Amino acid sequence: MEAEDDWESSSGEVTDTDQFNDEDIYSTSTSLSKLQFRSDASKAKWNGEMGMAEVIEKKGKMWITTGIVRNGKTFCLIEETLFLAEIGALLVMDENDECLSLKDIYRKIAEEKSGCCWELFEVYRHLKSLGYIVGRHGVPWSMKGVENNSESCSSQGTIQKNGVVDTEVNGMTCVVQMLGNLQVDELRLNFNVYLPNSKFRKSSPGDPAFLLCLVRGSPPSITKSAALERQCGGIPLKFCHVEHGRVTSAADKRMPSITELCTGLCIPWLRDLRLLCKSFSTQKSFDSVLSLFPCREDKPQLERIQPKILLAS
Amino acid sequence: MGPRWKGKGADAKALADPMSEIVSQLQSSLLQSNALGSLSGCSVLLAVETEQTELLTRACFGKPIITAEKDKQWFQLGLEEAFYLCNSLKCLKIVGEDNFVKNDLDLWLHMKSKKDNFPDFYKAYSHLRMKNWVLRPGLQYGVDFVAYRHHPSLVHSEYAVIVLSEGDVGRLRVWADFHCTIRLCGSVAKTLLVLHVDKNGHGAICPSCLESYSVEECTIMRWSPEHSRNDQTASENGIT
Repeated sequence: MEAEDDWESSSGEVTDTDQFNDEDIYSTSTSLSKLQFRSDASKAKWNGEMGMAEVIEKKGKMWITTGIVRNGKTFCLIEETLFLAEIGALLVMDENDECLSLKDIYRKIAEEKSGCCWELFEVYRHLKSLGYIVGRHGVPWSMKGVENNSESCSSQGTIQKNGVVDTEVNGMTCVVQMLGNLQVDELRLNFNVYLPNSKFRKSSPGDPAFLLCLVRGSPPSITKSAALERQCGGIPLKFCHVEHGRVTSAADKRMPSITELCTGLCIPWLRDLRLLCKSFSTQKSFDSVLSLFPCREDKPQLERIQPKILLAS
Repeated sequence: MGPRWKGKGADAKALADPMSEIVSQLQSSLLQSNALGSLSGCSVLLAVETEQTELLTRACFGKPIITAEKDKQWFQLGLEEAFYLCNSLKCLKIVGEDNFVKNDLDLWLHMKSKKDNFPDFYKAYSHLRMKNWVLRPGLQYGVDFVAYRHHPSLVHSEYAVIVLSEGDVGRLRVWADFHCTIRLCGSVAKTLLVLHVDKNGHGAICPSCLESYSVEECTIMRWSPEHSRNDQTASENGIT
Protein backbone atom coordinates (compact mmCIF):
# COMPACT_ATOMS: atom_id res chain seq x y z
CA MET A 1 0.00 0.00 0.00
CA GLU A 2 1.32 3.42 -0.87
CA ALA A 3 0.97 4.88 2.55
CA GLU A 4 2.95 2.05 4.05
CA ASP A 5 5.70 2.52 1.52
CA ASP A 6 5.97 6.11 2.54
CA TRP A 7 6.49 5.16 6.12
CA GLU A 8 9.08 2.58 5.28
CA SER A 9 11.14 4.77 3.07
CA SER A 10 11.22 7.60 5.54
CA SER A 11 12.07 5.54 8.56
CA GLY A 12 15.15 4.31 6.74
CA GLU A 13 16.62 7.78 6.55
CA VAL A 14 18.72 9.07 9.30
CA THR A 15 19.04 12.73 8.71
CA ASP A 16 19.75 13.78 12.24
CA THR A 17 23.35 14.75 12.63
CA ASP A 18 23.83 16.92 9.62
CA GLN A 19 20.83 19.00 10.30
CA PHE A 20 20.85 19.94 13.93
CA ASN A 21 24.21 19.34 15.39
CA ASP A 22 24.23 20.33 19.00
CA GLU A 23 27.84 19.51 19.54
CA ASP A 24 29.00 22.42 17.46
CA ILE A 25 28.39 24.60 20.45
CA TYR A 26 30.78 22.53 22.45
CA SER A 27 33.54 22.19 19.92
CA THR A 28 34.02 25.88 19.46
CA SER A 29 36.31 26.39 22.41
CA THR A 30 38.99 27.80 20.18
CA SER A 31 36.68 30.13 18.35
CA LEU A 32 35.39 31.52 21.60
CA SER A 33 38.64 33.33 22.07
CA LYS A 34 38.87 34.52 18.51
CA LEU A 35 37.09 37.78 19.05
CA GLN A 36 39.45 40.42 20.31
CA PHE A 37 38.76 43.91 21.40
CA ARG A 38 39.63 45.96 18.40
CA SER A 39 42.22 48.59 19.06
CA ASP A 40 40.19 50.86 16.87
CA ALA A 41 36.97 50.57 18.84
CA SER A 42 34.45 53.38 18.65
CA LYS A 43 33.43 55.15 21.83
CA ALA A 44 30.03 56.04 23.16
CA LYS A 45 28.56 57.50 26.31
CA TRP A 46 25.48 55.95 27.86
CA ASN A 47 22.61 58.24 28.71
CA GLY A 48 20.34 56.55 31.21
CA GLU A 49 17.50 59.01 30.82
CA MET A 50 17.26 58.52 27.08
CA GLY A 51 18.06 54.84 27.24
CA MET A 52 20.61 55.27 24.47
CA ALA A 53 24.33 55.78 24.04
CA GLU A 54 25.63 58.89 22.33
CA VAL A 55 28.46 58.05 19.97
CA ILE A 56 31.52 60.17 20.69
CA GLU A 57 34.09 58.58 18.40
CA LYS A 58 33.26 56.64 15.29
CA LYS A 59 35.56 54.04 13.81
CA GLY A 60 34.74 51.72 10.98
CA LYS A 61 32.05 51.40 8.36
CA MET A 62 29.44 49.87 10.60
CA TRP A 63 28.00 53.31 11.33
CA ILE A 64 26.42 53.38 7.90
CA THR A 65 23.95 50.81 9.15
CA THR A 66 23.98 51.29 12.91
CA GLY A 67 22.79 54.07 15.13
CA ILE A 68 20.19 56.76 14.66
CA VAL A 69 20.95 60.36 13.79
CA ARG A 70 19.43 63.22 15.74
CA ASN A 71 20.60 66.83 15.67
CA GLY A 72 23.73 65.82 13.85
CA LYS A 73 24.70 63.32 16.53
CA THR A 74 24.57 59.54 16.38
CA PHE A 75 22.89 57.53 19.09
CA CYS A 76 22.85 53.78 19.68
CA LEU A 77 19.82 52.01 20.99
CA ILE A 78 20.58 49.45 23.64
CA GLU A 79 20.53 46.49 21.31
CA GLU A 80 22.98 48.25 18.99
CA THR A 81 25.15 49.22 21.92
CA LEU A 82 25.27 45.72 23.31
CA PHE A 83 25.87 44.13 19.94
CA LEU A 84 28.84 46.33 19.24
CA ALA A 85 30.17 46.01 22.77
CA GLU A 86 29.96 42.22 22.61
CA ILE A 87 32.12 42.08 19.51
CA GLY A 88 34.56 44.56 20.92
CA ALA A 89 33.75 47.31 18.44
CA LEU A 90 32.43 49.81 20.96
CA LEU A 91 33.67 51.09 24.30
CA VAL A 92 30.81 52.37 26.39
CA MET A 93 31.23 54.93 29.17
CA ASP A 94 28.71 55.87 31.78
CA GLU A 95 27.75 59.40 32.74
CA ASN A 96 30.90 59.69 34.88
CA ASP A 97 33.18 58.56 32.06
CA GLU A 98 33.74 55.21 33.73
CA CYS A 99 33.97 52.27 31.40
CA LEU A 100 30.88 50.07 31.37
CA SER A 101 31.60 46.36 31.33
CA LEU A 102 29.59 43.83 29.37
CA LYS A 103 28.09 42.79 32.66
CA ASP A 104 26.77 46.32 33.18
CA ILE A 105 25.23 46.42 29.74
CA TYR A 106 23.70 42.97 30.17
CA ARG A 107 22.13 44.29 33.34
CA LYS A 108 20.64 47.24 31.48
CA ILE A 109 19.02 44.90 29.00
CA ALA A 110 17.69 42.76 31.85
CA GLU A 111 16.00 45.83 33.32
CA GLU A 112 13.95 46.11 30.14
CA LYS A 113 13.68 49.87 30.53
CA SER A 114 15.14 50.82 27.18
CA GLY A 115 12.57 49.24 24.92
CA CYS A 116 14.38 45.97 24.53
CA CYS A 117 14.59 42.63 26.27
CA TRP A 118 17.09 39.78 26.12
CA GLU A 119 15.14 37.81 23.53
CA LEU A 120 14.76 40.85 21.28
CA PHE A 121 18.46 41.41 21.58
CA GLU A 122 19.12 37.82 20.54
CA VAL A 123 17.02 38.37 17.43
CA TYR A 124 18.83 41.60 16.71
CA ARG A 125 22.22 40.00 17.17
CA HIS A 126 21.31 37.02 15.01
CA LEU A 127 20.12 39.14 12.10
CA LYS A 128 22.95 41.65 12.36
CA SER A 129 25.49 38.84 12.38
CA LEU A 130 23.94 37.59 9.16
CA GLY A 131 24.39 41.00 7.58
CA TYR A 132 20.86 42.34 7.73
CA ILE A 133 20.30 45.97 8.60
CA VAL A 134 18.03 46.15 11.61
CA GLY A 135 16.25 49.17 12.93
CA ARG A 136 13.79 49.47 15.74
CA HIS A 137 10.29 49.90 14.40
CA GLY A 138 8.89 53.35 14.84
CA VAL A 139 12.30 54.95 15.31
CA PRO A 140 13.42 56.71 12.14
CA TRP A 141 17.08 56.33 11.22
CA SER A 142 17.32 60.04 10.71
CA MET A 143 14.95 62.94 10.96
CA LYS A 144 16.10 64.23 7.59
CA GLY A 145 14.16 61.51 5.87
CA VAL A 146 11.00 61.91 7.91
CA GLU A 147 9.47 64.80 5.98
CA ASN A 148 10.18 62.96 2.76
CA ASN A 149 8.86 59.49 3.49
CA SER A 150 5.70 58.33 5.11
CA GLU A 151 7.23 56.49 8.02
CA SER A 152 6.56 58.23 11.27
CA CYS A 153 6.41 57.29 14.88
CA SER A 154 2.68 57.11 14.91
CA SER A 155 2.30 53.42 14.27
CA GLN A 156 2.60 52.59 17.90
CA GLY A 157 3.03 55.80 19.80
CA THR A 158 0.90 58.86 19.81
CA ILE A 159 3.40 61.25 18.29
CA GLN A 160 2.10 63.06 15.28
CA LYS A 161 4.33 64.60 12.70
CA ASN A 162 4.37 68.33 13.20
CA GLY A 163 5.84 71.07 11.08
CA VAL A 164 9.48 71.11 10.03
CA VAL A 165 10.60 73.28 12.93
CA ASP A 166 9.51 70.69 15.49
CA THR A 167 10.67 67.62 13.59
CA GLU A 168 13.96 67.17 15.37
CA VAL A 169 12.47 67.66 18.80
CA ASN A 170 9.75 65.20 17.88
CA GLY A 171 12.31 62.67 16.82
CA MET A 172 13.90 62.65 20.24
CA THR A 173 10.64 62.46 22.13
CA CYS A 174 9.48 59.78 19.78
CA VAL A 175 12.44 57.61 20.64
CA VAL A 176 11.99 58.07 24.35
CA GLN A 177 8.32 57.14 24.15
CA MET A 178 9.16 53.91 22.41
CA LEU A 179 11.30 52.85 25.29
CA GLY A 180 8.52 51.62 27.49
CA ASN A 181 8.08 48.32 29.24
CA LEU A 182 7.36 45.38 27.02
CA GLN A 183 4.29 43.37 27.79
CA VAL A 184 4.62 39.65 27.28
CA ASP A 185 1.37 38.99 25.51
CA GLU A 186 1.24 42.15 23.53
CA LEU A 187 2.08 41.71 19.88
CA ARG A 188 3.86 44.64 18.42
CA LEU A 189 6.11 45.42 15.52
CA ASN A 190 9.63 45.29 16.88
CA PHE A 191 12.11 45.65 14.05
CA ASN A 192 12.36 46.94 10.51
CA VAL A 193 14.75 44.66 8.67
CA TYR A 194 16.57 45.59 5.47
CA LEU A 195 18.62 43.33 3.26
CA PRO A 196 22.39 43.76 3.43
CA ASN A 197 23.24 46.90 1.51
CA SER A 198 26.51 48.75 1.45
CA LYS A 199 24.78 51.75 -0.06
CA PHE A 200 22.28 52.05 2.75
CA ARG A 201 21.45 55.63 3.61
CA LYS A 202 19.82 56.57 6.85
CA SER A 203 18.27 59.65 5.29
CA SER A 204 16.40 57.53 2.78
CA PRO A 205 16.41 53.92 3.84
CA GLY A 206 13.45 52.98 1.68
CA ASP A 207 11.01 50.30 2.70
CA PRO A 208 12.35 47.46 4.81
CA ALA A 209 12.42 43.98 3.32
CA PHE A 210 10.23 42.84 6.18
CA LEU A 211 8.97 43.78 9.60
CA LEU A 212 9.54 41.56 12.55
CA CYS A 213 7.41 40.79 15.56
CA LEU A 214 8.77 38.82 18.47
CA VAL A 215 6.34 36.43 20.08
CA ARG A 216 7.22 35.89 23.69
CA GLY A 217 4.37 33.70 24.82
CA SER A 218 2.22 31.26 22.91
CA PRO A 219 1.87 31.48 19.14
CA PRO A 220 -0.43 34.33 18.09
CA SER A 221 -4.01 33.73 17.07
CA ILE A 222 -5.07 34.43 13.52
CA THR A 223 -7.05 37.47 14.62
CA LYS A 224 -4.14 39.07 16.40
CA SER A 225 -1.65 38.31 13.69
CA ALA A 226 -3.99 39.60 11.02
CA ALA A 227 -4.54 42.77 13.00
CA LEU A 228 -0.83 43.31 13.27
CA GLU A 229 -0.38 42.60 9.60
CA ARG A 230 -2.78 45.38 8.77
CA GLN A 231 -0.45 47.83 10.48
CA CYS A 232 2.35 46.93 8.16
CA GLY A 233 1.38 49.04 5.20
CA GLY A 234 1.98 46.31 2.68
CA ILE A 235 5.40 45.32 3.97
CA PRO A 236 5.83 41.59 4.69
CA LEU A 237 5.58 40.65 8.34
CA LYS A 238 7.47 37.87 10.03
CA PHE A 239 6.85 36.50 13.48
CA CYS A 240 9.69 35.08 15.44
CA HIS A 241 10.18 33.20 18.63
CA VAL A 242 13.33 32.68 20.59
CA GLU A 243 13.88 29.73 22.82
CA HIS A 244 17.09 28.71 24.53
CA GLY A 245 18.86 31.25 22.40
CA ARG A 246 20.46 28.94 19.91
CA VAL A 247 21.92 30.78 16.99
CA THR A 248 23.18 28.84 14.05
CA SER A 249 25.97 30.03 11.83
CA ALA A 250 25.22 32.10 8.78
CA ALA A 251 27.42 30.08 6.47
CA ASP A 252 25.57 26.82 6.31
CA LYS A 253 21.99 28.14 6.28
CA ARG A 254 20.54 25.74 8.79
CA MET A 255 17.09 26.25 10.15
CA PRO A 256 17.66 28.75 12.92
CA SER A 257 16.18 28.42 16.35
CA ILE A 258 14.29 31.61 15.70
CA THR A 259 11.23 30.03 14.30
CA GLU A 260 9.57 31.70 11.41
CA LEU A 261 5.83 31.46 11.12
CA CYS A 262 4.18 32.07 7.82
CA THR A 263 2.27 35.27 7.86
CA GLY A 264 -1.07 34.72 9.43
CA LEU A 265 -0.49 31.02 10.06
CA CYS A 266 -2.06 29.78 13.22
CA ILE A 267 -1.00 26.52 14.74
CA PRO A 268 -1.89 25.82 18.35
CA TRP A 269 1.67 25.06 19.32
CA LEU A 270 4.88 26.27 17.73
CA ARG A 271 6.27 22.81 18.11
CA ASP A 272 3.48 21.42 16.00
CA LEU A 273 4.56 23.69 13.20
CA ARG A 274 8.08 22.36 13.45
CA LEU A 275 6.78 18.82 13.54
CA LEU A 276 4.54 19.40 10.62
CA CYS A 277 7.26 20.88 8.53
CA LYS A 278 9.93 18.43 9.51
CA SER A 279 7.72 15.47 8.82
CA PHE A 280 8.28 16.34 5.22
CA SER A 281 11.75 15.07 4.88
CA THR A 282 13.15 17.50 2.40
CA GLN A 283 13.52 21.24 2.25
CA LYS A 284 11.67 21.15 -1.04
CA SER A 285 8.61 19.65 0.54
CA PHE A 286 8.84 22.20 3.29
CA ASP A 287 8.90 24.99 0.75
CA SER A 288 5.96 23.53 -1.02
CA VAL A 289 4.04 23.48 2.24
CA LEU A 290 4.72 27.15 2.69
CA SER A 291 3.70 27.87 -0.85
CA LEU A 292 0.29 26.39 -0.19
CA PHE A 293 -0.40 29.52 1.76
CA PRO A 294 -1.27 32.19 -0.70
CA CYS A 295 0.70 35.37 -0.52
CA ARG A 296 -0.55 38.19 1.63
CA GLU A 297 -2.27 40.11 -1.10
CA ASP A 298 -4.87 37.41 -1.50
CA LYS A 299 -6.08 37.74 2.08
CA PRO A 300 -6.86 34.05 2.40
CA GLN A 301 -9.49 32.43 4.51
CA LEU A 302 -6.93 30.70 6.64
CA GLU A 303 -9.35 28.60 8.60
CA ARG A 304 -10.33 26.73 5.48
CA ILE A 305 -6.85 26.35 4.14
CA GLN A 306 -5.26 24.95 7.23
CA PRO A 307 -6.96 21.51 7.13
CA LYS A 308 -5.69 21.13 3.58
CA ILE A 309 -2.14 21.31 4.82
CA LEU A 310 -2.60 18.60 7.39
CA LEU A 311 -3.87 16.21 4.78
CA ALA A 312 -1.26 17.07 2.22
CA SER A 313 1.22 14.40 3.21
CA MET B 1 17.12 1.57 19.55
CA GLY B 2 20.36 1.47 21.50
CA PRO B 3 22.77 4.35 21.94
CA ARG B 4 24.50 5.49 18.77
CA TRP B 5 28.01 6.46 19.69
CA LYS B 6 29.96 8.81 17.49
CA GLY B 7 33.26 7.40 16.35
CA LYS B 8 35.46 4.68 17.68
CA GLY B 9 36.06 4.54 21.37
CA ALA B 10 33.34 7.03 22.18
CA ASP B 11 31.54 4.59 24.43
CA ALA B 12 34.75 3.75 26.24
CA LYS B 13 35.44 7.42 26.71
CA ALA B 14 32.00 7.91 28.15
CA LEU B 15 32.40 4.97 30.47
CA ALA B 16 35.69 6.30 31.74
CA ASP B 17 34.24 9.74 32.34
CA PRO B 18 30.75 9.34 33.74
CA MET B 19 28.39 12.29 33.50
CA SER B 20 27.57 12.08 37.18
CA GLU B 21 31.24 12.77 37.97
CA ILE B 22 31.38 15.73 35.61
CA VAL B 23 28.25 17.26 37.07
CA SER B 24 29.60 16.73 40.55
CA GLN B 25 32.84 18.50 39.66
CA LEU B 26 30.87 21.35 38.13
CA GLN B 27 28.80 21.59 41.27
CA SER B 28 31.81 21.95 43.56
CA SER B 29 33.57 24.35 41.25
CA LEU B 30 30.59 26.68 41.02
CA LEU B 31 30.03 26.47 44.74
CA GLN B 32 33.61 27.31 45.53
CA SER B 33 33.63 30.36 43.32
CA ASN B 34 30.27 31.65 44.62
CA ALA B 35 28.92 31.67 41.11
CA LEU B 36 26.29 34.30 40.48
CA GLY B 37 23.93 34.28 37.54
CA SER B 38 21.67 37.12 36.48
CA LEU B 39 18.16 36.85 35.11
CA SER B 40 17.50 38.39 31.72
CA GLY B 41 14.23 37.70 29.94
CA CYS B 42 13.87 33.93 29.82
CA SER B 43 17.54 33.25 30.33
CA VAL B 44 20.13 33.43 33.06
CA LEU B 45 23.49 34.92 32.15
CA LEU B 46 26.59 33.67 33.90
CA ALA B 47 30.20 34.76 33.62
CA VAL B 48 32.76 32.09 34.50
CA GLU B 49 36.49 31.41 34.46
CA THR B 50 38.26 28.90 32.24
CA GLU B 51 37.94 25.91 34.54
CA GLN B 52 34.19 26.33 34.82
CA THR B 53 33.84 27.01 31.12
CA GLU B 54 35.23 23.56 30.54
CA LEU B 55 33.02 21.94 33.16
CA LEU B 56 29.86 23.66 31.94
CA THR B 57 30.70 22.52 28.44
CA ARG B 58 31.42 18.95 29.46
CA ALA B 59 28.29 18.76 31.57
CA CYS B 60 26.22 20.44 28.86
CA PHE B 61 24.70 23.26 30.76
CA GLY B 62 23.94 26.41 28.88
CA LYS B 63 25.24 27.83 25.71
CA PRO B 64 28.38 29.95 25.45
CA ILE B 65 27.97 33.57 24.34
CA ILE B 66 30.76 34.68 22.08
CA THR B 67 32.08 38.02 23.22
CA ALA B 68 35.30 39.92 23.00
CA GLU B 69 35.89 39.73 26.75
CA LYS B 70 39.11 37.86 27.34
CA ASP B 71 39.21 37.19 31.04
CA LYS B 72 35.83 35.57 31.39
CA GLN B 73 33.45 33.47 29.39
CA TRP B 74 29.72 34.24 29.34
CA PHE B 75 27.14 31.49 29.30
CA GLN B 76 23.43 31.63 28.73
CA LEU B 77 21.38 29.16 30.74
CA GLY B 78 17.79 28.17 30.12
CA LEU B 79 15.27 28.47 32.93
CA GLU B 80 15.28 24.76 33.76
CA GLU B 81 19.06 24.52 33.67
CA ALA B 82 19.50 27.54 35.89
CA PHE B 83 16.90 26.37 38.36
CA TYR B 84 18.49 22.94 38.46
CA LEU B 85 21.88 24.39 39.31
CA CYS B 86 20.33 26.72 41.85
CA ASN B 87 17.66 24.58 43.49
CA SER B 88 18.74 20.97 43.00
CA LEU B 89 22.51 21.19 42.95
CA LYS B 90 22.52 24.32 45.06
CA CYS B 91 25.69 25.63 43.48
CA LEU B 92 24.43 28.79 41.83
CA LYS B 93 22.87 31.96 43.13
CA ILE B 94 20.75 34.06 40.84
CA VAL B 95 20.06 37.78 40.97
CA GLY B 96 17.13 39.59 39.44
CA GLU B 97 17.11 42.84 37.51
CA ASP B 98 17.40 44.65 40.81
CA ASN B 99 20.72 42.95 41.44
CA PHE B 100 19.50 41.24 44.61
CA VAL B 101 19.84 37.48 45.04
CA LYS B 102 16.50 35.80 44.57
CA ASN B 103 15.46 33.19 47.10
CA ASP B 104 14.05 29.89 45.85
CA LEU B 105 10.45 31.00 46.06
CA ASP B 106 10.97 34.29 44.25
CA LEU B 107 12.96 32.57 41.58
CA TRP B 108 10.27 29.94 41.18
CA LEU B 109 7.57 32.59 40.85
CA HIS B 110 9.64 34.57 38.39
CA MET B 111 10.25 31.56 36.19
CA LYS B 112 6.61 30.57 36.32
CA SER B 113 5.73 34.05 35.14
CA LYS B 114 8.02 33.64 32.15
CA LYS B 115 6.82 30.18 31.28
CA ASP B 116 3.39 28.86 32.20
CA ASN B 117 4.30 25.22 32.24
CA PHE B 118 7.63 25.74 33.96
CA PRO B 119 6.77 23.50 36.97
CA ASP B 120 6.02 20.48 34.76
CA PHE B 121 8.93 21.13 32.47
CA TYR B 122 11.26 21.52 35.37
CA LYS B 123 10.04 18.34 37.01
CA ALA B 124 10.67 16.46 33.77
CA TYR B 125 14.06 18.09 33.31
CA SER B 126 15.28 17.36 36.80
CA HIS B 127 13.83 13.84 36.67
CA LEU B 128 16.04 12.94 33.73
CA ARG B 129 19.05 14.99 34.75
CA MET B 130 19.18 13.25 38.09
CA LYS B 131 19.40 9.99 36.19
CA ASN B 132 22.45 11.45 34.44
CA TRP B 133 20.85 12.04 31.09
CA VAL B 134 21.98 15.14 29.30
CA LEU B 135 19.03 17.26 28.24
CA ARG B 136 19.14 19.84 25.53
CA PRO B 137 16.35 21.91 23.99
CA GLY B 138 14.28 19.94 21.52
CA LEU B 139 12.64 22.74 19.61
CA GLN B 140 14.53 21.83 16.47
CA TYR B 141 12.87 18.45 16.46
CA GLY B 142 9.44 19.67 17.40
CA VAL B 143 9.69 18.31 20.91
CA ASP B 144 10.49 19.75 24.31
CA PHE B 145 13.87 18.18 24.99
CA VAL B 146 16.28 15.72 23.47
CA ALA B 147 18.04 13.35 25.81
CA TYR B 148 21.62 12.20 25.38
CA ARG B 149 23.21 9.33 27.20
CA HIS B 150 26.41 11.36 27.54
CA HIS B 151 27.95 14.42 25.93
CA PRO B 152 26.51 15.29 22.50
CA SER B 153 29.95 15.08 20.96
CA LEU B 154 30.19 11.41 21.91
CA VAL B 155 26.71 10.13 21.27
CA HIS B 156 23.58 10.93 19.31
CA SER B 157 20.53 11.75 21.32
CA GLU B 158 18.33 8.75 21.83
CA TYR B 159 15.13 10.22 23.05
CA ALA B 160 12.93 13.04 21.88
CA VAL B 161 11.06 14.11 24.98
CA ILE B 162 7.61 15.60 25.20
CA VAL B 163 6.32 16.78 28.55
CA LEU B 164 2.65 16.34 29.21
CA SER B 165 0.91 17.80 32.19
CA GLU B 166 -2.18 16.19 33.63
CA GLY B 167 -5.23 17.36 31.82
CA ASP B 168 -3.12 18.74 29.00
CA VAL B 169 -5.20 18.47 25.86
CA GLY B 170 -3.05 20.59 23.60
CA ARG B 171 -0.26 18.16 22.86
CA LEU B 172 -0.56 14.78 21.12
CA ARG B 173 -4.23 15.35 20.96
CA VAL B 174 -5.22 13.40 17.86
CA TRP B 175 -3.67 10.46 16.04
CA ALA B 176 -2.22 12.75 13.44
CA ASP B 177 -0.14 14.38 16.18
CA PHE B 178 1.29 11.02 17.19
CA HIS B 179 2.03 10.01 13.64
CA CYS B 180 3.63 13.34 12.91
CA THR B 181 5.86 13.20 15.95
CA ILE B 182 6.78 9.56 15.53
CA ARG B 183 7.58 10.00 11.89
CA LEU B 184 9.86 12.89 12.69
CA CYS B 185 11.51 10.97 15.51
CA GLY B 186 12.05 8.07 13.17
CA SER B 187 13.74 10.14 10.53
CA VAL B 188 16.11 11.60 13.06
CA ALA B 189 16.67 8.26 14.74
CA LYS B 190 15.17 9.04 18.09
CA THR B 191 12.56 7.36 20.20
CA LEU B 192 9.66 9.41 21.40
CA LEU B 193 9.60 9.60 25.16
CA VAL B 194 6.55 11.08 26.74
CA LEU B 195 6.84 12.19 30.32
CA HIS B 196 3.54 12.55 32.10
CA VAL B 197 3.93 14.86 35.03
CA ASP B 198 1.25 14.57 37.65
CA LYS B 199 1.07 17.22 40.28
CA ASN B 200 -0.98 14.92 42.48
CA GLY B 201 -3.12 17.82 43.56
CA HIS B 202 -0.26 19.84 44.94
CA GLY B 203 -0.46 22.82 42.65
CA ALA B 204 2.62 24.89 41.97
CA ILE B 205 2.82 27.63 44.53
CA CYS B 206 6.30 26.85 45.70
CA PRO B 207 9.30 24.73 44.71
CA SER B 208 8.68 22.20 47.45
CA CYS B 209 5.51 21.16 45.61
CA LEU B 210 7.84 19.49 43.15
CA GLU B 211 8.66 16.76 45.62
CA SER B 212 5.09 15.54 45.44
CA TYR B 213 4.92 15.42 41.69
CA SER B 214 5.25 12.09 39.94
CA VAL B 215 6.64 11.42 36.50
CA GLU B 216 5.54 8.54 34.34
CA GLU B 217 7.79 7.63 31.44
CA CYS B 218 6.36 6.23 28.30
CA THR B 219 8.20 5.46 25.08
CA ILE B 220 6.10 5.37 21.97
CA MET B 221 7.22 3.72 18.81
CA ARG B 222 5.63 2.52 15.66
CA TRP B 223 5.33 -1.18 15.32
CA SER B 224 5.06 -2.68 11.89
CA PRO B 225 3.54 -6.15 11.92
CA GLU B 226 4.97 -6.91 8.47
CA HIS B 227 8.49 -6.81 9.77
CA SER B 228 8.02 -8.54 13.05
CA ARG B 229 6.77 -11.90 11.91
CA ASN B 230 10.05 -13.66 11.26
CA ASP B 231 12.58 -11.90 13.32
CA GLN B 232 12.18 -12.63 17.02
CA THR B 233 14.94 -10.21 17.87
CA ALA B 234 13.28 -7.28 16.18
CA SER B 235 12.74 -4.64 18.84
CA GLU B 236 9.61 -5.14 20.83
CA ASN B 237 8.03 -1.98 19.58
CA GLY B 238 4.58 -0.98 20.51
CA ILE B 239 2.73 1.33 22.77
CA THR B 240 4.25 0.59 26.14
